[in-house]
Amino acid sequence: MTEYAEYVLEKEQIDLMLEKGYAIKEVKENLSGAFVTFEKGKDDSDILHIKTADGRKYFSNLLFHQK
Amino acid sequence: MADLRTSLAGIESPNPFWLASAPPTNSGYQVQRAFEAGWGGAVWKTLGEPILNVTSRFAAVSFNGQRVAGFNNIELITDRPLEVNLKEIYETKKRFPNHAVVASLMVEPKQEKWHEIVKKVEEVGVDGLELNFGCPHGMAERGMGSASGQVPELVEKQTYWAKEAAQTPVIVKLTPNITDITSTAEAAVRGGADAVSMINTINSLAGVDLDSWNTIPHVGGKGAHGGYCGPAVKPIALNMVGECARHPRINVPISGMGGVSNWQNAVEFMLMGASNVQVCTAAMHHGFRIVEDMIDGMNNYLDEKGIASVRDLVGQSVPKYSDWGNLDLNYKIVARINNDVCINCNKCHIACEDTSHQCIDMLQDGHGNAYLEVREEDCVGCNLCSIVCPVDGAIDMVEIESEHPPMTWNERQAILSGVQDGKANTVK
Ligand SMILES: Cc1cc2nc3c(=O)[nH]c(=O)nc-3n(C[C@H](O)[C@H](O)[C@H](O)COP(=O)(O)O)c2cc1C
Repeated sequence: MTEYAEYVLEKEQIDLMLEKGYAIKEVKENLSGAFVTFEKGKDDSDILHIKTADGRKYFSNLLFHQK
Repeated sequence: MADLRTSLAGIESPNPFWLASAPPTNSGYQVQRAFEAGWGGAVWKTLGEPILNVTSRFAAVSFNGQRVAGFNNIELITDRPLEVNLKEIYETKKRFPNHAVVASLMVEPKQEKWHEIVKKVEEVGVDGLELNFGCPHGMAERGMGSASGQVPELVEKQTYWAKEAAQTPVIVKLTPNITDITSTAEAAVRGGADAVSMINTINSLAGVDLDSWNTIPHVGGKGAHGGYCGPAVKPIALNMVGECARHPRINVPISGMGGVSNWQNAVEFMLMGASNVQVCTAAMHHGFRIVEDMIDGMNNYLDEKGIASVRDLVGQSVPKYSDWGNLDLNYKIVARINNDVCINCNKCHIACEDTSHQCIDMLQDGHGNAYLEVREEDCVGCNLCSIVCPVDGAIDMVEIESEHPPMTWNERQAILSGVQDGKANTVK
């Protein structure tokens, strides 16, 4: 899989979470990539491991431009 | 015709092209011939403590047919008596009152030494002084040149001592043999410098002879590090000029040098903040008359751009020079191959496949003809393919409209720091 295809998958996963009403609650970035915690309501949460550089740029853009 | 006159901290010159302190400005005979050829100013070969030179002195680094891609020297400052130089400076200034004659000085880091030499050179009518804190060899072992120029406190103190005695503007010439040139430039400003100039030569060894195993150059079988200059050092010099120009506390004019070989290089240095340029290697390689092309080229450039004065170039690109963290992460360019121009040498494919992002495909059309195509979605816009491409116009780097407005690394980190502890909840 090319890096672009990997990114497209990650982007779709992020978009899907947002569509389902989740919001980005926490981002932990380390040498393995970014671990993005999505939360809906009080006790419904999920973590996406975003590995590609474009994927990490994508959720940053969402955070930055909708601040 | 545009107005080419410049002023560096009040030192007036008919054009921005000065000869740097070096062999071309060793004597009155040379400087006067240079002025006749059209040079606007000259910084006299450094005057100072008595020295002796060795032979040989120079070496060139040739690259791919370019005879002098880089130039290396182990020459010291002037070896002629001070009185002889002063007499010739006086005569030169008398013959060319409207040209800039600047005396380059280097003495031991002692207050009385600076006072003494400043007074002596000003008596013969120089337009300004350039303190040589840059010579990387010979003088440095004696505590002068770059040995002084690498220590901000010594730069500040010696500038201050020179200024105590000086009536004319003091330019401090900086060494590039330091991690951050702005620290010594700032020290010069604190010491009262009216201007800074950069760069002097970079510590270097031009080569080693594969048969004799001698260094290049060598002196009877022994070598010592020298100073590197010429076209190869231009990017280093340009960055140092730019870093000083954009520094808020380095608020004095800059005289730029290091690899300036033609009018285009001069324009670049001026756009990056230099008020004028100095030239050494190009004059040593091609002679004084290269200045004719520099003057013509600069005039034509300014006329074509509709710019009335060369002074209007100074610093125009400085606001465009910033820190990496302020660059837009969303700006995107990709490579596009023009198959009607491409000669199918495959250099771009090899470069991309072996050393970049594997996004140039070698394909065949319906007639079995080979062609190259970029998978744009995988292209990171690194420029490598267009750099290695031997044919102008075969590869264009084109801008792709981003789906997001600009966002810098610094902005990204600031926003991420708000969601690192799980407190923020900003995107829905
Ligand atoms: C042979 C030689 C001798 C030099 N001597 C001096 C000197 O006496 N004083 C000085 O300030 N710089 C000296 N320089 C440095 C030049 O003035 C200039 O800073 C440097 O060569 C960069 O410019 P360029 O790339 O145009 O040569 C010398 C350079 C060369 C090549």
